[in-house]
Amino acid sequence: MDNSEILNILLNSDKDLVIYRNSDNNNFEIFTDFVEKVDLNLGNLQKFLNKLERFKSNKPYDCYIGFFGYELLCKNINLKVNKDSSSFPEGVFFRPQTKIILDKKIKILTKSKTELLKDLKVLKKNNNLNHYKVTVSPNVQVYEKIFNKFKKNIRAGETYQIKIAQKYSNKKDLDIVNLFFDLMKKNLSPESFCVRTKDFNIISCSPENLFKVRGKKIVTSPIAGTVSRDKIKSTKEARRFFENNQKEDKEHNMIVDLERNDLSRITKPNSVKIQNLKFVQKYQYIYHNVSEISGTLLDNVRLSAIIKAMMPGGSVIGCPKINTLKLLNKEEKEPRRIYTGSFGYFRSKQDMSFNIIIRSILNFKKNNEVFAASGVILDSTAKNEYHENYLKAKSLLDLLK
Amino acid sequence: MNLLLIDHEDSFTYNLAHLLSGFGNLEVKNFYDVKENSVKKSDVIIFSPGPGKPLDYPISLDIYNNYKSKKKIIGICLGFQLIANGEGGTISKQEKIFHGYQTYIRTNSQSLRFPNNALYQVGRYHSLKLKEPFNSSSMHITMRCEETNVAMCLESHKYDICGLQFHPDSFLTPNGKQFIRKIIQFKK
Repeated sequence: MDNSEILNILLNSDKDLVIYRNSDNNNFEIFTDFVEKVDLNLGNLQKFLNKLERFKSNKPYDCYIGFFGYELLCKNINLKVNKDSSSFPEGVFFRPQTKIILDKKIKILTKSKTELLKDLKVLKKNNNLNHYKVTVSPNVQVYEKIFNKFKKNIRAGETYQIKIAQKYSNKKDLDIVNLFFDLMKKNLSPESFCVRTKDFNIISCSPENLFKVRGKKIVTSPIAGTVSRDKIKSTKEARRFFENNQKEDKEHNMIVDLERNDLSRITKPNSVKIQNLKFVQKYQYIYHNVSEISGTLLDNVRLSAIIKAMMPGGSVIGCPKINTLKLLNKEEKEPRRIYTGSFGYFRSKQDMSFNIIIRSILNFKKNNEVFAASGVILDSTAKNEYHENYLKAKSLLDLLK
Repeated sequence: MNLLLIDHEDSFTYNLAHLLSGFGNLEVKNFYDVKENSVKKSDVIIFSPGPGKPLDYPISLDIYNNYKSKKKIIGICLGFQLIANGEGGTISKQEKIFHGYQTYIRTNSQSLRFPNNALYQVGRYHSLKLKEPFNSSSMHITMRCEETNVAMCLESHKYDICGLQFHPDSFLTPNGKQFIRKIIQFKK
């Protein structure tokens, strides 16, 4: 059996797997044959992070790959969150024994090729053609109330920037792997990933890396500023748009200083540098305004300190982070679960990378949820931002039809 | 020299910490976690930026009032407003809100730490401002925004106190460290 046949059987089976975009190598990697699956909660998080600190991968497939959910990350910095009455895990990490690299040639790196195809069941596909209606929470009335409350908070200096999230949900079975590759054909994003398990499924076309550690160096690449490609035809034009758009420009400044701050908690004094200020990245429907900031990690910095300083990622929350999270958690009633959490991998303390989970679908117990958030702006109206959230969610909502 | 930076849980405090770190032993403490001992053994107390208004931080106001005549005190943004409040000033909302702005400010002849009539480009993050008229016998407004005339620096002529409404810690303030150096090296 050749590699593409093996891949085909694997993808059409019900076996747990993770697909991750490797934007350094411009390909996809599939991780499977999990020897370990860790469900995280506040009680075992510290123990898990301590274990990671001692872990060092010496096989190409060996790593921990998974996510920290938003609620777990908030609790980790002593913030109160809404109770999630479902059994959805607050974070999950897998330790694979197989990695398949999807390149011009398919490469299989595995501990055991016989293990890879052992006991595989064909994935059951429900050809359910019903189009289930999408509901949104908070609805427009509640959204407007929260929006106006946060405007007052901004006027009073209690937050300088705050982003309200909305949840769009429906009920439908999804063919998650095919859906993921369909999405990638249309909207290839550098931090895309897919998780398929018996309990839940995730696809995400996140564009945003929260941090990468390579040796002693840590780099963050916050996005602040989005413009539709309908209106703007070239990267050069997009750059001019971001420069001339006061609101976007100031918001971006704030996020640059916020990320400099978060890096400064865990890096050597005077090592934090803005590598690249305000450059434009092009996507299927939009341009993003991005900056790149780096620093040199403190000697002996703990992994838990890195997680506490950087997560949840500030660019999708607002500023200052702590008080803004308190305001959000008071007003938002829907648990965010994976949304604005972080997905990534850990190979050693010198080699890890985590993104910010946005533009994602979580499929759990036949329920699908998509979140979108946008900032409260003093001279904007609730209706405008409510509509902008819908536009952000639209490409994913199309998949739920 | 021992520096105590009191953090009001801002997302800019550690930018300030890196600016301060070259000038002595720096301790950063959350405002609700500051121990009397840390305050006592410090030579310089720095009040960080932060959300809200001075009256939201009674502990920091107490520290200011108890130590203003005894130690060098620096306030940044909210810290500036804490100093103003401690000197009887009122903090009020402003028409135009400055979050992430880079603007020009100018010094005046009242300044002891900075040259007269100097123009600086600075980064700003504030919804609130010092309400004027502000009358104090010992505290002087020594820098103002070129555009709105809003107070940007308070200096005491009696004690070793200096507050900045703008952010020397921001990347929007070129040479932010020189502001900190001048304030720290100033001797009454």
